[in-house]
Amino acid sequence: MTYSFRKRVAAMACTALLGLGTFSCQNDLLNVKPVTLLDANLAFDTPSRVLAQVNGLYSYVKVGGFLGGRYQIYGDIRANDFINRTSNSVTGLAVWNHTLAETSANDVVSVWGNAYAAINQVNIFLAGLDANADKFKTSTFTSVYPNGFEPTAINYRAEARLLRALCYYSLLQLYARPYIDGNGSRPGLPLRLAAETGLGNNNLARSTVAQVYDQILLDLNFAEQNLPLRYSATQGGAAVSTLNVTRAHRNTAIALKSRVYLTMGRYADVVTEANKLVPTAAPYVTTAGVANGLNSSITAVFTAPQETSESILAFPFSAQDPPGTQNQLAFYYLPASLGGGGEYGLNTATGGIYASTAFLSTDVRRTSFIAPVTTVTNGVSRTEYFLSKYPTGSPFTDKAPVIRYSEVMLSLAEALARNTNTVDSRALALLNAVRMRSNPAIAASGTTPAIPSPMFVATDFASVNAFIDAILLERRIEFLGEGIRNIDLMRLTATIPAKGTVSAIPSTAANYVWPIPSTELSTNNAMTRN
Amino acid sequence: MRKLLLPLSAVVLVMGARDLHAQSRSISGRVVGSDGAKLPGVTVLVKGTSLGTATDVEGRYTLPAPAGATTLVFSFVGYTSQEARIGDGPVNITLEASTTSLDEAVVVGYGTQSRRDLTGSVATITGKEISNTPVQSFDQALQGRASGVSITTPNGVLNNPPVIRIRGANSIALSSSPLFVIDGIPTYSGNNSAVGSVPNNPLANIAPEDIENIEVLKDASATAIYGSRANGGVILVTTRRGKKGQARLSYDTWVGISKPIRLFDMLNAPEYVNIKNEAVRNLNANRLAATGTVGTNAQGFNLADAAGNAYDTRWYDYIYRTGVSQSHNLNFSGGTDKTTYLTSVGYTKQKGMLVRNDFRRFSVRANVEHKLFDRLTVGARVNYANSLNSSPNSGSVGDGAFGTAGLGRLPLVLPPNISPYNPDGTYNTNGAGLGAGPNINPTSTTGAALLPGYYNPVVDLDNNYFTSESNSLQGALYADLEVIKGLHLRTQYGIDNLNFEDKAYYTSLAGDGFSLGGQAIDYFRTNKRWNWQNTAQYDRSFGEHNLSLLAGNEQQYTEVQRWGANRTGVADPFFTTYQGNYLNIAAAGNSQGASYLASFFGRFTYNYAHKYLFTATGRRDGYSAWAQKFGNFYGLSAGYIVSEEGFWKNAGFAKAFDYLKVSGSFGTTGNNQGIYDFVSLPLYGSFLYGNSGTFYYTQGANQNITWEKSKKTDASIAFGFLDSRLTGDVTYYHNLVDGLILDVPQAPSRGIPGNSIPANVGSMRNRGFEFNLRYNVLQDKAFTWTVSGNLTTLNNEVLALLDDTQRIAGATSGLETANYTTVGRSIGSILAVPNAGVNPANGQRMLVRADGTRVQYNHLGTSGTGWTIVNADGSTGANTTSPTQLADGVYYGPVLPTWYGGFDNNFRYKGFDLGVFIQFSGGNYIYNGTKSGLHDQRFWNNSTDILNRWTEDNKNAEWPRVVFNDNVSNGSTIIMSQNVEKGDFARLRNVALGYTIPSKALSKLKLSSVRVYVQAQNLALVTKYSGIDPEISVNGGSNLAPGVDRNSVGQARTYTAGLNVSF
Repeated sequence: MTYSFRKRVAAMACTALLGLGTFSCQNDLLNVKPVTLLDANLAFDTPSRVLAQVNGLYSYVKVGGFLGGRYQIYGDIRANDFINRTSNSVTGLAVWNHTLAETSANDVVSVWGNAYAAINQVNIFLAGLDANADKFKTSTFTSVYPNGFEPTAINYRAEARLLRALCYYSLLQLYARPYIDGNGSRPGLPLRLAAETGLGNNNLARSTVAQVYDQILLDLNFAEQNLPLRYSATQGGAAVSTLNVTRAHRNTAIALKSRVYLTMGRYADVVTEANKLVPTAAPYVTTAGVANGLNSSITAVFTAPQETSESILAFPFSAQDPPGTQNQLAFYYLPASLGGGGEYGLNTATGGIYASTAFLSTDVRRTSFIAPVTTVTNGVSRTEYFLSKYPTGSPFTDKAPVIRYSEVMLSLAEALARNTNTVDSRALALLNAVRMRSNPAIAASGTTPAIPSPMFVATDFASVNAFIDAILLERRIEFLGEGIRNIDLMRLTATIPAKGTVSAIPSTAANYVWPIPSTELSTNNAMTRN
Repeated sequence: MRKLLLPLSAVVLVMGARDLHAQSRSISGRVVGSDGAKLPGVTVLVKGTSLGTATDVEGRYTLPAPAGATTLVFSFVGYTSQEARIGDGPVNITLEASTTSLDEAVVVGYGTQSRRDLTGSVATITGKEISNTPVQSFDQALQGRASGVSITTPNGVLNNPPVIRIRGANSIALSSSPLFVIDGIPTYSGNNSAVGSVPNNPLANIAPEDIENIEVLKDASATAIYGSRANGGVILVTTRRGKKGQARLSYDTWVGISKPIRLFDMLNAPEYVNIKNEAVRNLNANRLAATGTVGTNAQGFNLADAAGNAYDTRWYDYIYRTGVSQSHNLNFSGGTDKTTYLTSVGYTKQKGMLVRNDFRRFSVRANVEHKLFDRLTVGARVNYANSLNSSPNSGSVGDGAFGTAGLGRLPLVLPPNISPYNPDGTYNTNGAGLGAGPNINPTSTTGAALLPGYYNPVVDLDNNYFTSESNSLQGALYADLEVIKGLHLRTQYGIDNLNFEDKAYYTSLAGDGFSLGGQAIDYFRTNKRWNWQNTAQYDRSFGEHNLSLLAGNEQQYTEVQRWGANRTGVADPFFTTYQGNYLNIAAAGNSQGASYLASFFGRFTYNYAHKYLFTATGRRDGYSAWAQKFGNFYGLSAGYIVSEEGFWKNAGFAKAFDYLKVSGSFGTTGNNQGIYDFVSLPLYGSFLYGNSGTFYYTQGANQNITWEKSKKTDASIAFGFLDSRLTGDVTYYHNLVDGLILDVPQAPSRGIPGNSIPANVGSMRNRGFEFNLRYNVLQDKAFTWTVSGNLTTLNNEVLALLDDTQRIAGATSGLETANYTTVGRSIGSILAVPNAGVNPANGQRMLVRADGTRVQYNHLGTSGTGWTIVNADGSTGANTTSPTQLADGVYYGPVLPTWYGGFDNNFRYKGFDLGVFIQFSGGNYIYNGTKSGLHDQRFWNNSTDILNRWTEDNKNAEWPRVVFNDNVSNGSTIIMSQNVEKGDFARLRNVALGYTIPSKALSKLKLSSVRVYVQAQNLALVTKYSGIDPEISVNGGSNLAPGVDRNSVGQARTYTAGLNVSF
């Protein structure tokens, strides 16, 4: 090894090191980007991305912790038709026994957070539509958007606003006093209508209940005017029959309005809205838009894929997009033997709907949707009863119902009765239509005696109130497990009945409505407690 | 690293030897280490002269000594110098290894320095101190070993990463963990497993026996060279290398057993039935008082069922075991003048105290260095390891504290009068949960059975499994060229590739998999990193001026990807693996990240006569995650070795007080550990709506976010007395962390994803003292005794958050919030409503409101909330509302220990050695949430102290009157000070007794050394803490929710016996 060779090696190595190493810094690596997340600046670049965002809004509203399951569950278990079987605070124990605290994570904190997360997604989307409006114009010659996209964008805007209205409405039912308590003058919700993306803006006071309802109606009216009448072509991989149930169309906005007005006690408006969907006489099928109507069989309505025309809006799940652990409707209500978690069984004691004499033993909704489970423990046999309306166990793909045609009918019936203060004949017909489809008269056969028709006649009711009570009872039977019960109690400031060791909650009690979550109170200085 | 210095000293001295006058007698002999191994390269000097030589590869030397010479001095880096009289025969000597000698080489970032010249704060832990300990990863063995380094073992689950905080918590939202660097390449740390039940710490891929030294860099001077990654300190690991000399084969092995300790005393079946039925009677009495109607709740707790089957189950017996572990490490090393090598093969299989908690590792290492040319050295280090950890669901990791399957919780909750098996031997289950046994639900109107809802742990243990297996390949190739004398150009290219396969399987029989019809999940994760470093180092001395200059560039690219799938609905119970047949499949756990760090750095060290010392360090880092890519970091330090001054050396006290050094440093470092790789980009995510794809907003452009920056200040005094038999140092540290990244909480009504946005808004200070002392009490030839200890104090205060009123909550498993971080307090302080004890008048729990009012709770005992005001005389006043944590809570803090350290005693008598190591810590509060569960009055079992509950006959009771379903009085609903306790403890962490067989006896067997030992870990614990272990953290390394004990499993006690043999 000669010295000069060593020197040359040294010089070469030295140059190589300085050249390659010391001064290198690779700019492309310094700006490395993700491959699974989309740059926000590209989110409105193609029609399919805008559509995907619309679907994204729905997916936010239907998360398992909100309208994909838990919201509906809480609406039922607050009242007295179900008994908590597992004492598990993660699965609604504190909702059931009214011991919620402002820190209760899985209900008070979670529902609020999920609803507002969806609301902000809507607001961001609406802001994005505004910012990119020029791209949608047909005259833009470089646009990747097809001609005619502009009205489609308006359809999307209407869907977004309908979802926002649904979120605000759902929040009001848990976190605010009922509208009739002071005609909406009580504290409502912070009304967030602008896109929130950066720091700041934490403080926002509660609008009144009435102001929030005003915004809900503003959004729903816009939706009614701008939603498509129906879906007629597949979109984003979903079939037309699916789209008409899982995406909003004009009937959806109208149906929701009928519920909102009923909740506010504006019965004349209920009649106006419901009349747009419900003909004056049978058959009860909407003539405009999607042919929503009363299906002849209630069991068909809840048979997968739950896409009959009676379902005006319901949220879909798939094995790839399941509701998530301990959020699934079927998990809560189905007994273990049918693939559920048996979290809640039916309250068989007096007061519960199971024991109601109005809920006939032959009612299809009892014979098809209530599953008795007999267990023999230590030689003692006991039977418990479970709701099996949501029949599908893992991966729990039953749709989460939002609103059905029969609800519009019963809302109309109630509004007619209250408006006319009579046992209105059309109202009676509507009540009977819903009731009788599940209670057909059965002729005698062989030794089995005939079962007479349980159809109501006007003389069955001693008073208008008795008639209205019958409608309310029918709603309990019809919508058991669909989250309507809490709405029906609170809109009338009715006492939440007692069950087991849990006392009744009068409408004057502090825990009649949920507490405002501590997460909001600790960050939003303008927020006030319930 | 100290071995690197060897060739230099040998060369110098051999050259010196050439000048000797051949006038005298020749002295020869042999030098061995205390382990009996020959020591090549030892400097042998004739005392009082410059005559000397170095030992050869056999440890032998021959030295011509002048006629008048009487004494030889033997010195060797890393060993205590020794003198020997020149006699007639050969002078053979045994040198003792010294662990903290002032002259040892200390590994610092991108180089080494002698401890004497060091001005930064660097602690060294030798491999010897941690090898042979029954741990899975070396970091678990560092407790109490170095000042300033706080290490918490969060629970007793194997391969769970310890929580390491160097000089306090250094971050709030990001990781406070130090940067780990293995042989120069930064590596991964923390739990990398995707399956919550089973932790996987990548550091377990290094066999502890392969470690030569661990250095902990603490202050700015030492850490600034790592710039933006050094806020939490840096831990440098140097693996063992071959030594020049004859090839050597060593075998280290141990076997051990682990057992649980300090388990709670739970009620047995008769006690349980009595207490719970009493609670029902009290509930009935409450209902009567509140509503006027007789409560009809059934006293449904029975010893035997209708068929007469009675059980008294101790659930612990099904969950804990005595685990047997073993470890083997074989290494072969050696070297010539040109080449050194070390290869090692390791195998360990460890069984934890929890059933089915097993860890095993297979590792292979090769470290080779070769002098290619005179001035060019090349080397390679490669480590491959395969490790497999399996664990049941302990509820102690991964947010599982409140799981209904957690094995920490189940033996506390499950009724003792239920058996895990039916009389026919089948599992006792009902749906997903455990069967009801003889218990009837007291609140049922139909006499329904009382279903626990919790799972039957035996089903889970028998059928479910959770594993995380990793394959790790770490390696680096390097070349060092000495261009001109003192100028080294070095390049090093390393890779650190690590993949994980994480599996979970849940049976369909019962438990979590029940409603899914069985489930198998498989995740595959790859961590890929390359790191390229190029440095130029120039060392030069001009007279008494010694200077060293380092300039370098480092680039590091890291990519992490994970994919996986979740299969549910097993086609047949026959299938118990992911590859079997299932009805459904969904994607699970997909993620992707990438980051790039480009850096330029330099260090200038200068000293005058090794007396006045100065170091300046600078680093400029560019990081891909930020919008503004670059940032600068620096460190400055100076030292003064007073004892090097002439006046000192000549002073009378110099013999007694022989060393004094003062030093100080200041500088800045950064932290980005744990920040999202794409935090500054505006992004949309995609998921599904039914069968349609979606896009949704996930984050806005965060242009301003950048590193958290630390300003570290240090002042230190180091001293040596009695010929440095007593050495020590005292250091004051002050660390101001600015620009803390906080996930600034956003009002949930804003709907921001995650309800937070990260921003650099906070500020926090850690300050305290570190003390180190080491004393060679006895240095008799036959008997030696060394005492060493360290103590660190910590004062942590949050100085600024978003604003002064902000309270950042830290939740345990997302369910229970005990900790709040606020300005002016220590991080993560516990907020609890003050407890006023049990009202002797009525047995109700009393709490104190913020306004001083005492309120008491009687479950379902009033028509209102159950809360009433307590009048001054103890009588019951008006109905009121529940006190709340936010309105009425009082802060208990700090939750980080304010003092901690270790105390080590090492004795050696002839062949025997005894080490006694005590670790201690305290000054902190713990939120003992487990305690609230242990006294909850649902059907849950209680610990036996509940027997001291209030009754008419026992009015001054420890616990309130029991009322069935009362989950308020003992803290399950409201965080109360009843469950806040001090966490002071001292633990006898390690006691080891060894015997080294005399070398005479071995030489016939061709063995060079044999040591046998027995060892006990965690032999004793002194603490007033009532929970299972005061060293616990159910939230792992969380900075916002530290110091919480919730249903975790404690630490095991382990006994091992081992053998070290060298050939």
